[in-house]
Parts: sequence; C-alpha cells; structure tokens
Amino acid sequence: MTFILRNLWRRKGRTFLTVFGIVVGIFALTVLGAMTARLNQQVNGMKGLIAGKISVTAPGTSMLRMQHSKVLSLDTARQIEKVPGVLSASGLITVQLKEGAGMSQPQMLVGYEVGSGKGLLANVGIAKGRELKAGDTGKAVIGSQLATDLDAKVGDKVTLKGKQFEVVGIMDATLGTADTWAFVPYSDVLPIFLAENPFFKAENFASSISVLPKPGVNIELLAETIGNTVPDIKVISPAEAEKQISQMTTIFKAIILGIAFIALFVGGLSIINTMVMAVSERTREIGLKKAIGARVRTILAEYLAEAAMIGFVAGVVGMLLGLVAISMLNRATHNSNITIFAASTTVIVGPVIFATALGTLAGLFPALRAARLNPVDSLKED
Amino acid sequence: MSIVTTKDLKKTYRVGETTINAVNGIDLDIEPGEFLAIVGPSGSGKTTLLHLLGCLDVPTSGTVTIDGRETARMSSGALSDIRRERLGFVFQEFNLLPVMSAAENVELPLRYLKVKPAERRRRALVALEKVGLSQRAANRPTQLSGGEQQRVAIARALVTEPALVLADEPTGELDTANTERLMDLVSSLNSETGQTFAIVTHDPQVAARTRRIVTMRDGKIDSDEPI
Repeated sequence: MTFILRNLWRRKGRTFLTVFGIVVGIFALTVLGAMTARLNQQVNGMKGLIAGKISVTAPGTSMLRMQHSKVLSLDTARQIEKVPGVLSASGLITVQLKEGAGMSQPQMLVGYEVGSGKGLLANVGIAKGRELKAGDTGKAVIGSQLATDLDAKVGDKVTLKGKQFEVVGIMDATLGTADTWAFVPYSDVLPIFLAENPFFKAENFASSISVLPKPGVNIELLAETIGNTVPDIKVISPAEAEKQISQMTTIFKAIILGIAFIALFVGGLSIINTMVMAVSERTREIGLKKAIGARVRTILAEYLAEAAMIGFVAGVVGMLLGLVAISMLNRATHNSNITIFAASTTVIVGPVIFATALGTLAGLFPALRAARLNPVDSLKED
Repeated sequence: MSIVTTKDLKKTYRVGETTINAVNGIDLDIEPGEFLAIVGPSGSGKTTLLHLLGCLDVPTSGTVTIDGRETARMSSGALSDIRRERLGFVFQEFNLLPVMSAAENVELPLRYLKVKPAERRRRALVALEKVGLSQRAANRPTQLSGGEQQRVAIARALVTEPALVLADEPTGELDTANTERLMDLVSSLNSETGQTFAIVTHDPQVAARTRRIVTMRDGKIDSDEPI
C-alpha cells in the first residue's frame, strides 16, 4: 500500500495529470448525477399524485402542462361517475400563483370539487391539520414547500391571488411538484380563474378531471372503459402518466450516461497510458522482483492496485469537488427556493466506485504486460 | 548432495538467420559451501549459464537439477517458487527498488515468502547486520554509495537463507577499493557461514578471491580448477 503511493509519488507530475483528467470527469458525473437525483425525487413525488387515479383531460392537452387550452365540462365528470367501477370524478381548475424560475417548481392554485371525493389528493398524506371536506369555502390545504415559502401554519390566513384562505392542512413533503401547490375548493378558484381569463366565457368547466376507482377495480381496464363510454375526452391511466414522466427523465439519464461514457473513455485511456509508461520505466524492477521469486499474480496485483489507486483517488477528489460545487450552487439559489441538486448515496458512492473500477479495468492491460515479462529480458533492459 | 547439477546443458538463440549456441553442452556440479567464479571473455556464455542455473531462463536441451529436482519441464510458477525459496541473486546494477528503504528492499523476498511483518523486519535487520549496514536500514538507495547499495543487494540475497547465491558481475560498477571490500565480505560469509556463492566475473582480482574457477569459452567449459 505505502509502496503503491510511493511509486505514484515518484512521478508526481504524471500522476497528478492523470488523476486530474479523471477528476474532471468524475466532477461532471457527480454534479449531473446530483441533478438527476433531484429530478428523480421530483418524479417520485409526482408519482404520488398520479398513482391510483385516472386523469381525464380534453383531447389535445398535455397532462404535464396543466394549461387551459381546452377544457372539459363538469357534466363530463358527472357522466364519468356513472361508469361502473368509478368511485368519484372530481373536476379541477388550476391557476398559476408564481412562475417557476429555472428548475424550480411553479406555485399552483388548484381548485377541485371537494364534494366529489379527494381528487388529486387521494394518495398524498396530510402532515398537519386535515383534508378539505364538502362545504368548505375559503379553506386551503397547502404543499410543504409552499407552507415554508408563505411561512404559514395550520390555522393561519394566507392570501392567494388576492383572496384570503385559511390553511386547514399541510401536506406531507413529496419532494415533487405538489409541494408548491395549494389545494382549495373548486368554487373558490372559479372566480379567480375567470378574472384572470376575461375572454373565457364558460361556466361549469374543469381543466381536468381526476377519477378514482372503487376498491378492487382494475384501474387500467377502468381507464379504457371510460375512454370508450364517454365521448371527447383524453384518458390518462396511471401507467400512461408514468410513461410520460419517464420520457421526460430519459433525456437527462442519457446525458448522464454520455458524460459517464466520456469520463470512462478519456480517463481509461489516460490510466492505460500512465500505467504503460510506469511498466516500461520499471521493466528492470519487474525483472528483479521476478528473479527473487515474485509470482505472476503478485506483479499483476501490484500494478492493478496502482491503477485502481489512481482511479480511487481521482474518484474521491472529483466527488468531493462535485459536492462542494453542489452545496455552493444550492446555497446560491436557496433564496429563490430552487433546489437543483440532491446528494443521494448513489451520487456520493457511485462515482468513487465507478472511478476505482475504471482504474482497475484500465490497469489490466499494462499489468498483464508487466506480469508476463520474461525475467531475463527485463533485467537486460535499460 | 549437490545443490545444482547440469547435464549436457545447451541454450541456443536464433538471431535472424544465425543460430548462437550461447551455452553448448555444460556439465557442472556445485556442492554446498562452494565459492566459485565463472570467468571467460564476453560472449563466452557465462551470464547465460548463470541465468540457467538460477531458473531465470529455460534450457534448449539438457537438464538443470536443483536440490534433486529437475527443472527443465517446470512451469514458470514452479520456477519462481524455486527462485524464491532456494536461490538468491545479486546483479551488476544492484537493482534496488528506489521507493523502498534499505531494510524494505531486504525484506522484499520475505514478503514474497509471506513472512509476517515483524519477523520480516527482524530478519532484514540481521541480514543488514551481516553486511555491516544496520545503521543505514532506513536510508533509500539514492542515499547510499554504490558499494553500500551492493551490500544491501547481498543482504537481500541472503535474507531467505538460500542454498545458493548467484551473482552476475557484482563488482562491475564498483571501484577497486569497494570491490576489495565487497569480496572481503563475500569470502567471509562463505567461510564463516558456509554460504554457497557462484559469481560471474571478468575481473581476475575477483576470481582470485574465490576457491574454484570455471573458465568458459564459446559456450563450453574450458577449465575448472580449484585454487
């Protein structure tokens, strides 16, 4: 172990450059990995919202945008409630409270028909206070992040879009989009929505309808039945919704994979180069070791360990630099309530393991070369 | 029983179209406690013979028997076992590892023999004591003179208590005074502990200090005489 470090120290400059090359790759990997980890948190948070319910929108709208290009009638919700297997169908309208900056979540005001079941909130727990119940007006259940932003506790009054609401409940933190949402009764949002959209003349409408199945009903089949029975709607089953979300994350994962691959390639080549140099420089040493009885696998292990050490050191340094960068960026953006990075265990341990494995792998070829040297020939070498 | 016996030992190299018979039919016996020099003009095959005796190279034909074991058909792993357990080597260029202290260099063969660290250190210091360098144990090779480095190399060869120490031009890089001092050391180790040495040299001054001189010419033994 100490000899490995001493051998690396012997060629400080070269070792440093090799390590530095990998550090850059691992740094990028850590930072982007943290971004993906954060994205995954959001996606998982979103899954709580989509699980166990069917979302119905007007044809041609996207679930993820929650905008009002086309709307549904509340009559449709009543129609859906008549479909066998449906427990409740709750119409929703959403109004944006505050636009999301960068990667932060927009704050949304979501009104839903409280009388028609829990709607979107069916699978999200309430941390403090209670859920909305039928007949509530001027009451709100708000996301955990929004509660922090508004500095609101249960029982406090908050003003959303000029209207006062009493906070009756605060939701569990999902780390996802719903953390910045406020849920209020449908009837409270309707006037706000109409005031914001003066050219919008419809009454009795919903931008989407959240459908819950009766217990024991196959939700995917139910989604299909609804789509076939009720005209002019777009039905998004939980499976479909999850597919849409994962499409969104696929591109990020592809970027991470791309960075990892470049780090692998460049870092691997530079380790191979360094180790080939080390082996040819130390040919005589290898000959001597073999002469005094070192086995092939002993030499192999020595050089593999040296290559792995380069990878490990670079991995640790790169990861630590990455963490420093992440925490600095998170702190810099803290005031605007953006959390871009999440340092998960994978983000911390992953790059180190990756770099060490990379070093070992890249060291394999030079180490084999060293181990197979003929003692007589290598002793003659100058 | 002899430590090493060779029978009609041959080693042939092919360089392009020409075939070189570096060692061309050698019968040699080395008994325990012997102190011999292998001499001869350059190209006479003495280093090749030493490599064959030391299991560093495999013969083209003929046999090398070490401790009664025939080595010609052994695997490279079995050959390194023999080198590790029965042989010690000293080279012209000392070949100490620069990243290790003198004591760590001497410990290296014991490391390959899987000796425990404390025992390793103890035996290394005993070996350094034998060559008169115990006060230099912590020094790196670059902090030692040529003569001192070669004495460390001898301590490294002795530390495993080998049956035979093979030395290839051990004084080749030393001046006359250091050569004299090194040969004093080797000959006293031989006479006091009965350590067997075989030294390849072209220096008559070195050969004269041994007790048997094997002279080689064109891959064959020209003469083999006790002193």
